[in-house]
Amino acid sequence: MAEDVKPTRKNLMEIEDRIDLSERGHDTLEQKRDGLIMEFMDILDQAQDVREDVEQNYEDAQQTINMARAMEGDVAVRGAAAALKEHPEITVRSNNIMGVVVPQIEASRVSKSLDQRGYGVIGTSSRIDEAAEAYEDLLETIVLAAEVETAMKKLLDEIESTKRRVNALEFTVLPDLYESQDYIEQKLEEQEREEIFRMKKVKDKKEEEERAKAESESESEAAADAGTAD
Amino acid sequence: MNVISRDASNYSYVNARVRSRWALLLDADEYDTLTRMGPSEIARFLGESEYSPEIDALGSRHSGVDLVEHALNRNLARHFDDLLEWSQGTLYDLISRYLRKFDAWNVKTALRGVYSETDAGVIDDDFIRAGEFDDALLGTLEECESVESVVDALAETVFGDPLADALDDYEETGALVPLENAVDRTFYDTLLRGLNAATESGTREFVKFLQAEVDFRNIRNAFRLARSGGTIDPSEYYIEGGRLFEASELASLVENRDELVARLRESRYGDQLGPALERLESADSLIGFEHALDAALLGYADHLSHVFPLSVCPVLAYILAKEREVDNIRAIARGREVGLSGEEIEQELVML
Repeated sequence: MAEDVKPTRKNLMEIEDRIDLSERGHDTLEQKRDGLIMEFMDILDQAQDVREDVEQNYEDAQQTINMARAMEGDVAVRGAAAALKEHPEITVRSNNIMGVVVPQIEASRVSKSLDQRGYGVIGTSSRIDEAAEAYEDLLETIVLAAEVETAMKKLLDEIESTKRRVNALEFTVLPDLYESQDYIEQKLEEQEREEIFRMKKVKDKKEEEERAKAESESESEAAADAGTAD
Repeated sequence: MNVISRDASNYSYVNARVRSRWALLLDADEYDTLTRMGPSEIARFLGESEYSPEIDALGSRHSGVDLVEHALNRNLARHFDDLLEWSQGTLYDLISRYLRKFDAWNVKTALRGVYSETDAGVIDDDFIRAGEFDDALLGTLEECESVESVVDALAETVFGDPLADALDDYEETGALVPLENAVDRTFYDTLLRGLNAATESGTREFVKFLQAEVDFRNIRNAFRLARSGGTIDPSEYYIEGGRLFEASELASLVENRDELVARLRESRYGDQLGPALERLESADSLIGFEHALDAALLGYADHLSHVFPLSVCPVLAYILAKEREVDNIRAIARGREVGLSGEEIEQELVML
């Protein structure tokens, strides 16, 4: 509260410094927020595309595995799936977008050639191949979706916190500082006026004393002159 | 089993029994009825048909479409076991060669199950007991602790040496591909071994059929390899015994799919596969083409069974027709389970 601040010139200077800093911080954060929103809009478009791809690829993968289970039998599909224990390798690195650290996810060994899927080529059919291929595509899209959606979520969090900081500066910190500045300035002006008034009073008093003193001296001189004349 | 037994074969007896089994196969009207049923209705329908012993036996352990699938596999095994039981001499040898594909299936099932540390009970359920392996051997395989012990357990079978040879590759790569390919290759190698000198007309035609099957398997794999791209050596997956390709020719054709299609058009199978090849050129998927190959083999076997009624050909045609029936019923049940329409399912069925 402005009333809590001591209305001194030193405090006024400090508050002016803080106002200057806060205004610059406010401008910078506004620019950051706008920049983040632009980045977010780009990622949002990408995320919508990726999400559609995930849904489409999931439907395709389900369709192909359903057909494989129907035509080849559940036992054959389970058997082909059991012929490989190796999992795809997922590596996560970080990428910096305007100070926001977002993950960059890369998956290796997801798409495989026919001889890398574990099951024998000679005794299987293309239904199994197509089901495996559809799930490889789905997994790649899911990894991409994880990267894009995590980046989107982190950007959203950062936009939200930047927005809160901008609002705090704009609607709380700066108005409080302006209020304190006004309060101190008013108080200092008031003190100045009081000082001038007091100085005036002192001056008047001194002048009156001097005048009284001069009058008494002139009276005593006049009395001395009258005694001499007698 | 590389030498054909010279005992007297009982073609007449076996073919008479097979003809009675043909009568039990579902007809087009019954397929039509099945495609309009839900999975539980299909299980009930099968429970009232000749599949009832299997449905009753497995009903307490499985339900829904899993029950249907396991019952179909067990029924298939029962019928094919009967074929081996009825037949003698050369006929037994010829049938057992062809049914060894189920031994290959069971070896792969055991390898995959042990490799992925699957419960022995689940592996047991997935076996199709239609080949020559007895219950004791299958029991040993499902209880094995490691892939190496599965290979050891198979040492006395035809798969023993090829698997032992492929074991180094498996240990190097950690993937089952070399072992599975060794199993499938052994099946095809032993299928035709010693048969080329056959003198009986029916057996000669049987050999032609097996050669066509090998050709179709090579064609199928060539298209799959061409589609997959990468740096796979096609000759590693070439099966010898067919009449269409040499390994070197196949390797060059895999690199150019258009040339492969053109080569097939000009081949002995050009007329049968022509429409499927046209569809293949406009579609990315091989599934329709594989259907055409299956249908062509089925039709060829059926044709042979009529031309050579007192040979192994009617038995072979029955084996293919029975397998196809099992595939079709399973496709209908699984298709209905996942919500496919009757029309969609009918498109996927392969019938004579």
